Amino acid sequence: MVFSHVPSTSTIRLAKVKAFLERMGLDYSPDIELFVIVQENDDIVACGGIAGRVLKNIAIDESVQGEGLALSLMSELLKVAYADGRDELFLFTKPQYEEVFEACGFKLIDGAAGKVILMENRYNIEAYKNRLHKLRHSGEVVGSIVMNCNPFTLGHRYLVEQACERSHWVHLFVVKEDASFFSFRDRYRLICEGLSHLKNLTIHEGSDYIISKATFPTYFIKDKKQIDSLYTELDLNIFRNHLAPELGITHRFVGMEPLCVVTNEYNQQMKKILSRKAESPPIEVVELERIEYKGEPISASRVRRLMHEGNLEEISHLVPPTTYALIEKMLSENEEKK
Amino acid sequence: MSKKVEPAHAGTLESSDLFVRVVPCECEGVEIELESSVYEIYADAIKATILESANALKATGIKIMVQDKGALDYVIKARVEAAILRAYGINEPDWSVL
Repeated sequence: MVFSHVPSTSTIRLAKVKAFLERMGLDYSPDIELFVIVQENDDIVACGGIAGRVLKNIAIDESVQGEGLALSLMSELLKVAYADGRDELFLFTKPQYEEVFEACGFKLIDGAAGKVILMENRYNIEAYKNRLHKLRHSGEVVGSIVMNCNPFTLGHRYLVEQACERSHWVHLFVVKEDASFFSFRDRYRLICEGLSHLKNLTIHEGSDYIISKATFPTYFIKDKKQIDSLYTELDLNIFRNHLAPELGITHRFVGMEPLCVVTNEYNQQMKKILSRKAESPPIEVVELERIEYKGEPISASRVRRLMHEGNLEEISHLVPPTTYALIEKMLSENEEKK
Repeated sequence: MSKKVEPAHAGTLESSDLFVRVVPCECEGVEIELESSVYEIYADAIKATILESANALKATGIKIMVQDKGALDYVIKARVEAAILRAYGINEPDWSVL
């Protein structure tokens, strides 16, 4: 058995890995940077991939199962990850392999539809839950919103204002993953500045457990124009079973989504998953109307398109002054570079 | 030892071996997190061996995380020492204390 590494840039060897995954009944994850593969007589018999801090696409051919190959493969994968300073790791697998990966130091977080589970090697979710618990506010209606705000617009502001009006307290989570056009720092700052007038609101930095590359990788691969309902469910299960109970959340507010396919699908599935019968209390999903400018809903994607066109005049009607100031600065810096 | 600690690891997850990770921690002394396939019988003995190896190197302010697969004493000692030395970035250990 020969171990070797296949970076995603090595097209020819990657094609062989893809063929192997297909034979094993796994969907190839396009965000994987590196595969560790095991070969026997030139044939791939096992592989595992690393995407950021997430291990996935781990497969072992039946012909070599039961020889402890899983542990050798995991040793190699962990070495690659740790050597790169990736300490806090997540792992996707099927529920029937939970024990195998438990033996490698991973613990279950949650799963979806009996088809996929997410595990992690440091049980950080417990610490995160404890931190959330301290931020709890009592009230009959405790609302929640999860936002990326790329960038923060008048539409976002309206949505949060509406939520605050209808709730005793609102928890706003800002997606932390730096995978958007605007950096997390900028997005977070613009949200804080744009919402400083609201008094019954806690603004949380997001985490690995809420719309992150671990819980919801397909959210960040939008060019696929489709989302995997499994990951949507996983993300929502974690929210409902682990995060919401700590804060006593009763409602989740979302904006109606006419423009973005991924977000719309997410909203629809959210209604189903958060309200169905389960051990944790149900959460009511409230869809709020979007506000419009010139007959078209105000959205972050529209602002980004206008930035591309350099249409500052129209942008000024879509975003609060704080966001406008940053966009103006970004565009003028761009101009200087040219 | 008061040198800066970087996360480091040694070993494998294979049978009769162990995977050791050393990370800096806020704690005093040495904190041990052990998982073992023979935990019920040998947990105390394994922890004692790990601690002995760490103390021999005067390591403090570290957390040692171990996935043991039934390794023998000298394997545990070697892996823990290797991981700690790597964590401190020491290439030339003081062999007399080991």
